[in-house]
Amino acid sequence: MHSVLNPEFGDKIVTLTAAMVLVLQIAMAAQRWLVTNIRIFGLQSFLLAFIAGTIAVFNGAPHLFMAAVLTLLVKAILVPILLERLVDRIGIRQEIEPFINAPLSVLISGALTLAGYIVSESIYRSDPHTSSAALGHNTLAVAISLFLIGFFTMINRRKALTQVLALLSLENGLFLATISLTYGMPLIVELGVFFDVLVAVLVLAILVYRIRETFDSMDVSRMRRLQG
Amino acid sequence: MPAVDLLFNACLSVFLAGAVAGLVSLWRPAGARFLAFGLALCGSLLDIAASVATLAQGSTLLWNLPCGVPVFSWSVRLDPLSAYFCLALGILGAAVSIYSFGYLRDWKKPRNAGALGFFYNLLLLSLVLVFTAANAFFFLVAWEVMALATYCLVSFEHEKEETRQAGVLFLIMSHAGTGLQLIAFLLLAVAAGGLDFSSFHLLASRLPAGEQGAIFVLFFLGFGVKAGIIPIHVWLPAAHPVAPSNISALMSGIVIKAGIYGMARVFFDFFDVPPLWAGILVLAIGVVSALLGVLYALMEHDLKRLLAYHSIENIGIILIGFGAALMFHSLGHPTLAAIALIAGLYHTLNHAIFKCLLFLGAGAVLHATHTRNMEKMGGLIRKMPVTAFCFLIGAVAISGLPPLNGFVSEWLTYQALLAGFGTTQSLTRVMFPLAGALLALTAALAAACFVKAFGITFLALPRSAEAEQARETAFSMRLGMAILAVGCVVLGLGASWFLPVFDPITQQALGVRMSSALVASNGFVISAGSPRSGTISTVGIAASLLLLSIVPVLLWLAWGRRSRRTSGPVWDCGLPGLTAANEYTATAFSKPLRMIFSALYRPRREIQAEFEVSPYYPTAIRFESEIEPAFEKHLYDPIKERILALANRMRALQAGSIHAYLAYIFITLIILLLFGARG
Repeated sequence: MHSVLNPEFGDKIVTLTAAMVLVLQIAMAAQRWLVTNIRIFGLQSFLLAFIAGTIAVFNGAPHLFMAAVLTLLVKAILVPILLERLVDRIGIRQEIEPFINAPLSVLISGALTLAGYIVSESIYRSDPHTSSAALGHNTLAVAISLFLIGFFTMINRRKALTQVLALLSLENGLFLATISLTYGMPLIVELGVFFDVLVAVLVLAILVYRIRETFDSMDVSRMRRLQG
Repeated sequence: MPAVDLLFNACLSVFLAGAVAGLVSLWRPAGARFLAFGLALCGSLLDIAASVATLAQGSTLLWNLPCGVPVFSWSVRLDPLSAYFCLALGILGAAVSIYSFGYLRDWKKPRNAGALGFFYNLLLLSLVLVFTAANAFFFLVAWEVMALATYCLVSFEHEKEETRQAGVLFLIMSHAGTGLQLIAFLLLAVAAGGLDFSSFHLLASRLPAGEQGAIFVLFFLGFGVKAGIIPIHVWLPAAHPVAPSNISALMSGIVIKAGIYGMARVFFDFFDVPPLWAGILVLAIGVVSALLGVLYALMEHDLKRLLAYHSIENIGIILIGFGAALMFHSLGHPTLAAIALIAGLYHTLNHAIFKCLLFLGAGAVLHATHTRNMEKMGGLIRKMPVTAFCFLIGAVAISGLPPLNGFVSEWLTYQALLAGFGTTQSLTRVMFPLAGALLALTAALAAACFVKAFGITFLALPRSAEAEQARETAFSMRLGMAILAVGCVVLGLGASWFLPVFDPITQQALGVRMSSALVASNGFVISAGSPRSGTISTVGIAASLLLLSIVPVLLWLAWGRRSRRTSGPVWDCGLPGLTAANEYTATAFSKPLRMIFSALYRPRREIQAEFEVSPYYPTAIRFESEIEPAFEKHLYDPIKERILALANRMRALQAGSIHAYLAYIFITLIILLLFGARG
């Protein structure tokens, strides 16, 4: 009879949750409603917090609890509330108008996931003495894919606000990579990163508001006169 | 004998202090003048002392400067070759610093004197370091500081459009040259496994032939830009005239010699026996530069541009010496190679001195008449006798007339070329007499050009009100010119006593000492090394000139006192009342040559006459004449257009769209990731 706290069981839970995170990321890249997008991001962050908590329980890394709680508070609750309030304030609820349509976006996201797997494969292959504590390379591949898809989404969006969302999901990918490779960085670094994200969201929120005030639109593809 | 490194470090510190003094006294013209240029004078004297001590001992000193970045050593080496160029720098620095006291005094905008002093000292400091750096990295740093200081000095009067354009042109070409040097240095560094010049010694000749050729050509072009060889000379006639005159004197005197120093260092230190084609290339470029330089100079009426073209000519003469030395070295004649090398190096110092003198003279004239156009000068010899005399000395020296210094080095060049015909049986030997003949043509044209420059500027009647009101310059300016004029005479008459200076240099480069073979009859006669070759005695020529000048006096004493003297007006063809309008102009003077060489110049002339009644009685005539700027039109303009067209196409990349920029980053990232994953 295996203990419930068997690390291999934990690994499976993490992999499963990571797969759901990836699905949410692709959904975010493909769907068209702004508010839904914000909520998907909240859900994704919640799952990340869950992953961090799982690793903390099964692999005996208690300081990851702190990261999990912070993720939950900041990314899953605070940031979505802030962003939704901003959407209310500037009075838009309309669709996102991406450059590339949904089916093609999903295809590209699939290709980027493949790229993520190729890259993570090579990292594991080149270093056979990876520490036994590290999680399976599935999680790393998902993390890299999250990063790449987030980047792609950022390029694909016209509005500054939706780009902010994409940037945040990209940052989620980085977070997943750190906890899957190293069980999270020292607490002080984590705190710094979270504070950073919060400040970034606040600054971006103000900036988006200003851009809208000045240009009557959030469409950054209209800001072409900045060229030299 | 004081320790050379102490003298040398003192010289560097004093230049540094001068630069700081210039900055400190940025808005105090009087302070800047005396402090910055006084310190520059002290530094130059210390520099002379250090280089004379090194040349006298014939030794090499190597040490590290007590400053710098940890990884790269800021090593300095004072070997005979470096010391020789430092000596030239010291002499010029001293003379120009003295000249600057007066030159800056009644300047129109004295508030900038501090900035001028800062960059002036920085230029001198970086030049000393260029001549002595013993590490490729340090050398390039010093070289860049020199280029930037020169740029700031060239664009000093930046309120004029012409000045700004010349400055930018200089900067672009200078950096292109540095880029070529950088590649060559990296090629050498890979082969040597280090950056020290000592590890480059004779290294280049051990590399495969292709690499050897690439290094040679890259260095030749890279240093050639600074030296001003044709066809990469175009910055020179643009930048020299617009700089303040004391700066143009320094630039033409010594900054372009940094290119010559670099070539000497590469050709005779990094290379052991260079391939024969390398020598032929240098000789051919030298001949072309000398001839075209003087031909373009002849057509100039801007006094300082004329002098700038003569710099190109003289760089060509120096390179004829270097090219011949390289060829003799490849053909296995080290003694002849040594003579040619001595000729080139001696001409380097001589040209530095007389060209600096001429630019200072031109500066004095400019100062007095406020124009660079020779057609508006004239009659200045009566207003500014000392300046005129000094300019005349410089003009005689640059024309290669005995007994002054230009004659000695050109004579040595001829001797080396004439002896070259017997060194090989292959067709290559035709190069030597051909180069000699063209060098003779160059010298003759240079003499014609300076008859024009001196005659139109200083003789006859003033052609404008400014020339009428010109006054002699300040004492310190005259003193600065006089020092250099004395230098021209001393290096001409005392050539045979100066030649032993080259012994340690040729010993180091080619393994032979030539001074005992070159000097005969207790130093009163110079011979060209072998019994069959020619001999010359500048002292003898000077003595006979003096004796001949006594003859008319004796004749007058014998018969003249008894004969009747009458004085009358100047012959005026029966049209009394000669004015400046009757004078020969510079354009008219150079007309015969413009017609002879019209295939080269492709002159364009336009005459427009306005008349009221009959075309035979015009009320006004407008005459316009210009020559085609061949290199600008056929070489630089096409390149410029290509680059601009390419740049225009590249602008599409800079769409100004955030999405496009993000996409560039993204695509690059993906490619790099996949590339890394594959590897």
